[in-house]
Amino acid sequence: MARHPKDRAHILERVQALGGLTPGVAQQVARETGVPEAEVYGAASFFHLLASPDTKVRVCTGLSCQLGGASGVLAAARAAGWPVEEVSCLAACDRPPAVMRERDVFVEVTAEDVARADGWASLTSRAEPSLDWTGAVGPVDADPDTLAMNLLAPPRYDGAALARSLELGAEAIVDRIEASGLQGRGGAGFPAHIKWRGVRQQAETARYVVLNADEGEPGTFKDREVMLRRPDLVVEGLAIAARAVGADDVYLYVRGEFGAPWRALEAAIERLAGPLDGLRFHLHAGHGAYICGEETALLEALEGKRGMPRLKPPFPTEHGLWGAPTLIHNVETIACVPGIVERGGDWFRALGRTEPGSKLYCVSGHVARPGTYELPLGVSLDELVEAAGGYVGTLRAFSPGGASSGFLPASERGTPLDFKHLAKAGSMLGSAGVVVLNDEADLGFAVREQLRFFEVESCGQCAPCRIGTRFLREAVDQYRDQHRDGGKPRLRQVAEAAWEMNEGSICGLGQAAPLPLTTVLDNFPEVFGADPD
Amino acid sequence: MRIQIDGRDVEFEPGETILEVARREGLEIPTLCHDPRLDPAGACRTCLVEVDGWRRMPPSCATKAQDGMVVRTRTERVGRHQRALLALYLADHVQGADACETGAPCELHAMAAKVGAPTDWTPLEPVRVGRDDPNPYIEFRADRCIACARCTRYCAEVEAVTAISLVGRGSKTTIGTVDASSLLDTSCELCGGCIDTCPTGAMTEKRPLLQLAPPERQLEKVRTTCNYCGVGCQLDLNVDPATKKIVKITSPPVGTPPNDGNLCVKGRFAYEFVEHPDRLTTPLVRGEDGALREASWDEALDRAARGLMGVKERYGADALGFVSSSRCTMEENYLVQKLSRAAFGTNNCHQCAAT
Ligand SMILES: Cc1cc2nc3c(=O)[nH]c(=O)nc-3n(C[C@H](O)[C@H](O)[C@H](O)COP(=O)(O)O)c2cc1C
Ligand code: SF4
Ligand code: SF4
Ligand code: SF4
Ligand code: FES
Ligand code: FES
Repeated sequence: MARHPKDRAHILERVQALGGLTPGVAQQVARETGVPEAEVYGAASFFHLLASPDTKVRVCTGLSCQLGGASGVLAAARAAGWPVEEVSCLAACDRPPAVMRERDVFVEVTAEDVARADGWASLTSRAEPSLDWTGAVGPVDADPDTLAMNLLAPPRYDGAALARSLELGAEAIVDRIEASGLQGRGGAGFPAHIKWRGVRQQAETARYVVLNADEGEPGTFKDREVMLRRPDLVVEGLAIAARAVGADDVYLYVRGEFGAPWRALEAAIERLAGPLDGLRFHLHAGHGAYICGEETALLEALEGKRGMPRLKPPFPTEHGLWGAPTLIHNVETIACVPGIVERGGDWFRALGRTEPGSKLYCVSGHVARPGTYELPLGVSLDELVEAAGGYVGTLRAFSPGGASSGFLPASERGTPLDFKHLAKAGSMLGSAGVVVLNDEADLGFAVREQLRFFEVESCGQCAPCRIGTRFLREAVDQYRDQHRDGGKPRLRQVAEAAWEMNEGSICGLGQAAPLPLTTVLDNFPEVFGADPD
Repeated sequence: MRIQIDGRDVEFEPGETILEVARREGLEIPTLCHDPRLDPAGACRTCLVEVDGWRRMPPSCATKAQDGMVVRTRTERVGRHQRALLALYLADHVQGADACETGAPCELHAMAAKVGAPTDWTPLEPVRVGRDDPNPYIEFRADRCIACARCTRYCAEVEAVTAISLVGRGSKTTIGTVDASSLLDTSCELCGGCIDTCPTGAMTEKRPLLQLAPPERQLEKVRTTCNYCGVGCQLDLNVDPATKKIVKITSPPVGTPPNDGNLCVKGRFAYEFVEHPDRLTTPLVRGEDGALREASWDEALDRAARGLMGVKERYGADALGFVSSSRCTMEENYLVQKLSRAAFGTNNCHQCAAT
């Protein structure tokens, strides 16, 4: 038996240190930790960076990287006989194609880079040789007073916001968060203050604050940019949150592909050590699994288990990490906190247009300057793309919030990109990972790639999602492959399967996974033809 | 405290789930990943019900009844969900009940028929892979596995062994062992509880498959008491009606005392002695020539009684000692000590598992 549940938290790290899941590793970790060997093996097998240790190179075949030429790079790496696999979005969609060499992410990799390399171990990117790369951010000419985060400003390590929060006291901080109208930036848009109050009012005094830095929604890379450029905001925001809800331990779950953001956070924690005064910060790396961005799956992974979402209720505010009340937030949500504490809730609220605050929009695909843009919450696609240097080609479709948001037609280009309006349009703002497709894009292929993403990244726990994602992807493949099944999709079955995925799935992955297909069936009937049944 | 289920007002105990209350009321809710011996997983999604005021349908197996809750188990939405879910399960399963049920009956096919699920959804490419395992008793068939994790939870929660785990992710999720090793090289105790709890026959007895025995549906079940130890577990001999031979042993339904559906490796798998040529089937007594010969029970008992009485007469009752076997049932052990104390008058009695 494990000596303490917290001992188990490190089993995945140990498997990583031993080079991944090669024969004997799970048994060794089991001996060292007292966790049963089948459980070590089962947990590690869930994470692709641990489960296939022989794969050395991973080419992102997410939609934005495909638009940026990923398949050529993949073909070159295969032709070179490298140990290569496809991988889901690496949160570098603004600089495609992204390629991982072991745990290092290179961007703007070309087939020539592959040809030039002397074996996979020496692969680099000629366009961007550094591993400490950043992306484009903007708008460059914005008035800093209109930005809650301001990624172009240099980081500050004076701890002023934290000092201010100590003057205010916990209740007043939460009042400010409430006045600000801050909604979670991780995808669900849930009002932040309700969670803060929820944790504060628990009888249990052991409480935790958790940072969700597992950014993996295809098309999304804003959290990466915040951690690279303003890690001070993240660390200070976490400290303020910890003080407000009465937690002494802060866990930062950073996806395993985020080497540079990890280093930036580590350095910021060190520089802010004085003001942090006794708060304990614990950095945990992910090991390759999109679903661990879902907050309860993340908590499971932090506990050293398979990243399978928990049933809700109970919610983490009541029953979170090791069963204790836990406040878990997205990186961007947390990065808004110092500004709200220093300048007030009303100031933050007024920064938004249709909903409170300024918002980081990621934009990639067919635009001139893909990148992260801080704009009033509720701008339209046209305004966002204007900040990003304009469209490349003629707009046909766009995903407003990652793969989970499906595809909207060009006629929605004026719709405010906020939580409320996009929900009404049958989509969602989600993580604000906007992907733009012009009229040369193969929309059927785009649908197929998004469905494939969900199939691969489903945790596999519940049948509607585990089977449904594969069912939809195979239906689209059958339609696109003229040699099988007469090229006819089973549209009636597909509609019913999609309905069931939404109704029956445990978490948001399975519930949203049909959207790429159903939104295209609704908005672009020409893509899959009429119902053949 | 009360809840309303399908219009009925029902009293419940705090801590009871919706499913427990409904079943107590005789209301049927389909379940696959539920086993009353295990903590609920809420994963198979068959048991979803509607609760007034809740946006999403919660799993009744994992949702506690709350005072004043209004639950509906037979709505249009619940029915549509059950049909579509089962259609998906079937598309990912061995096609057709006959082809599927070569071992135990598969609850999936029966449930699909019961809820009226469409059976014509395009079957999917098989993606799960099992593993070769030379252990003699347990076969895992990945193509029938619905990843309900009853087997792994049973192994961890009831057996406290954890020899098996869910492995992999996404559509390839299945059941495995560390490094895909044989169960013989793990902590597995070969209790076979994973087989017993498996709803689909994915985890199944290996010998009947190798012997091409008829499927379980065609076997006659003979309830008996295990003769390996004093617990007296109830078990069912599954007998081939044509050959009258035991094909396999299963445990009676969960809830049957004393073993609640559990068995150990001996009770479940060590039945081949029944047909063994060395097995004694009549009493033997030693003749004048010192050789053993077959005898009737009367003769054998007379001979034993005479011998024991002779010792008592010559040396006193305490010259006798009675040692019974831990393979006797509790009732048999009781009778041995009764024989010792009441019939022969000595307290020299012992049971081999008592020290
Ligand atoms: C499938 C899925 C993936 C998610 N991925 C992320 C993610 O990568 N980062 C994130 O912050 N939230 C993600 N979320 C949302 C989290 O579950 C949770 O709502 C969020 O961390 C709460 O923080 P917030 O209130 O600051 O948004 C995901 C949700 C789902 C259902
Ligand atoms: S919906 Fe998908 S990702 Fe979420 S719990 Fe179910 S199988 Fe796992
Ligand atoms: S036979 Fe028993 S101990 Fe072995 S895997 Fe199955 S449940 Fe676990
Ligand atoms: S083997 Fe049986 S019990 Fe185990 S997960 Fe598969 S279907 Fe469920
Ligand atoms: S990094 Fe490749 S699609 Fe996001
Ligand atoms: S029986 Fe309730 S979800 Fe499986």
